[in-house]
Amino acid sequence: MPISLNYLLKRILLSFLVVLGVIVFSYTLLILTPGDPAVKWAGNPRGPGAVLAIELARRELGLDQPLHVQIAKFIYNVFTGNIGLSIAYKVPVTQVVASAFTSTLELLIVTYLFGVPVGVVLGTYSALRRGGRADSIIQTLAVVLASTPTFWLALIIMIILQAVFGVVPYGRIDGRLAIATNFKPITGFYLLDSLVQGNYAVFMDVFVRVIPPALAISVYPIGVLTRVTRTLVAEALLEDNVRAAVAWGVKRSTILRRYVLRSIIPPIVQISGLSFTYSLVDAMVVESMVFGREGLGSVLLDSLHKADFRVSLALIIYLTIFYIVVNTLVDILQATIDPRVRL
Amino acid sequence: MEPSRLGKHVLLRASKKLRFKIGLVIVVVMVAMAILAPYIAPYPDEGLGRVPLDGEGRRLLPPSPQHLLGTDTLGRDLLSRIMFAARAALMQSTIVIALSLVIGLVVGSFAAYFKGFVESVLTYLTELFMAVPSLVIALFIRLATNTPGYHVVIVSLTLTWWAWYARISYVYAKGIVELDYVVLAKLAGLHPLKIVGRHILRVIFQPMAVQAISDLGSALLEASAINFMGLGLPRDYPDWGVILFEGLRELSVIAFIRAPWLVVFPGLFILITTLGFALLADPLREELDPRLSRRWRLWF
Repeated sequence: MPISLNYLLKRILLSFLVVLGVIVFSYTLLILTPGDPAVKWAGNPRGPGAVLAIELARRELGLDQPLHVQIAKFIYNVFTGNIGLSIAYKVPVTQVVASAFTSTLELLIVTYLFGVPVGVVLGTYSALRRGGRADSIIQTLAVVLASTPTFWLALIIMIILQAVFGVVPYGRIDGRLAIATNFKPITGFYLLDSLVQGNYAVFMDVFVRVIPPALAISVYPIGVLTRVTRTLVAEALLEDNVRAAVAWGVKRSTILRRYVLRSIIPPIVQISGLSFTYSLVDAMVVESMVFGREGLGSVLLDSLHKADFRVSLALIIYLTIFYIVVNTLVDILQATIDPRVRL
Repeated sequence: MEPSRLGKHVLLRASKKLRFKIGLVIVVVMVAMAILAPYIAPYPDEGLGRVPLDGEGRRLLPPSPQHLLGTDTLGRDLLSRIMFAARAALMQSTIVIALSLVIGLVVGSFAAYFKGFVESVLTYLTELFMAVPSLVIALFIRLATNTPGYHVVIVSLTLTWWAWYARISYVYAKGIVELDYVVLAKLAGLHPLKIVGRHILRVIFQPMAVQAISDLGSALLEASAINFMGLGLPRDYPDWGVILFEGLRELSVIAFIRAPWLVVFPGLFILITTLGFALLADPLREELDPRLSRRWRLWF
């Protein structure tokens, strides 16, 4: 593999520093704002247990110590995976975020498994018919798709489903069906779990429920990838090797597959990775507000409404780590498939 | 070509394209709507959020001659609210993009010009703010200030957006600092600030400005999403995202989609405005970067 150890070490160090920076930034923001941080950390408790809860929080945070000691303590807790119990859910914060994370990630993966191929096919077709009617229709469509607010489209999809089928999907899984068929989550990716258990009823249920939000979120990757692919394919068609192949009389479909589409894979991977992290926000909004799915979006809203500061901190930290991991994976993937890229 | 003349040339050629004209019309109409809202809105008071006295009987009326786009859950005229909301939309996106552009240009060009420590620190800061989703920063700004308002949207989006501009202008500037005229200016003893301002910023400003115009739409999309989550502007505030959020909160999803006019129109305005900015920026980008508008002969 064309990846040097030096590069990996540098990358890991930088990522580590970025995560540290985010922790310091978010922690300071919460502590330095008006209000007693211990009260905030305890979740603004009221009633008989309040004094005890606040005292516990004060000890947990070490608020009598200077800010940098507190932050150091908090960073230690983060990296040992111990941010404490969620105030709203009464379970470890890491557990809350992790289970929400799998739900949102499942939705995003389905979205991209659908969106990326559609975008690439549309873009390629558009490039082959460049200047023609199909090209201008696809290009217009791509601009409109990329300009569509996904949360609004999700609502429109709901209206259409209501009009056509008379029912709309709400939630991630039919709870009664899951209990009736004795479905047990293992990894948290319900599609995978139900397949492993051979529970096709639950699989179909989960699958049908994931399609509408995935459709809504997919407009962004489809719009972006259509436009990018068109430019990439059109540029690749001008390369000398393609001209030479045409002159040699190689079949057009073979040229397209072997010389054109293969050469655009690395940039496509890069663009998909970038928009994947962007779509995360879309997914959070759509799943929680419109489709009533449990996920990062609903955790975010809960943490706001219940003043669950630990969950908020966990969210910002783990999402940062997720961004970094995705970006690093994309770079490594690119170096693996594209021999010109050396890291 | 000198930057200012190039700018005129690009603008002139782009303005002949149909897409540019459509985009311009959309943007001008939206700006006019924002400015003239108090005069052209049929029910200006309700547009600003006041609930009418006879609101009870006017709840959720479908579109009619009295209420062209229908009424909302509290009986307010939807068209009036949408017209006033154009103000929030334009304000949020322009402020976010303008702030991000200024910060990004300065950080990017300084990082490229001053190598070594400054470069490392600025690159690190860029990486840092690119790694955090805007929605989560919005949550933190909201938690920290404990009040809804413009600041949530503007601070959270600017914090994530400037980093992109910093990175793009860093890449542009990196290509320029090695050019002969910059090296010569340095040798001639010109003050670093002057070199950055006169020889780097002026050159990279145009492609960055075009990028910024098309991003006005993306910023609007993200701002609307934050407001739709109920993190940004307060309830009753005239904003397209807030109108949708309110409908969803007042009714459940099931009831909300039974009042389709309340769902369709606010989102349609977000879509059209975003589209307007994209259509305006695209021809400019093509003229600025001739590779994009190259006519490919249909030989394949």
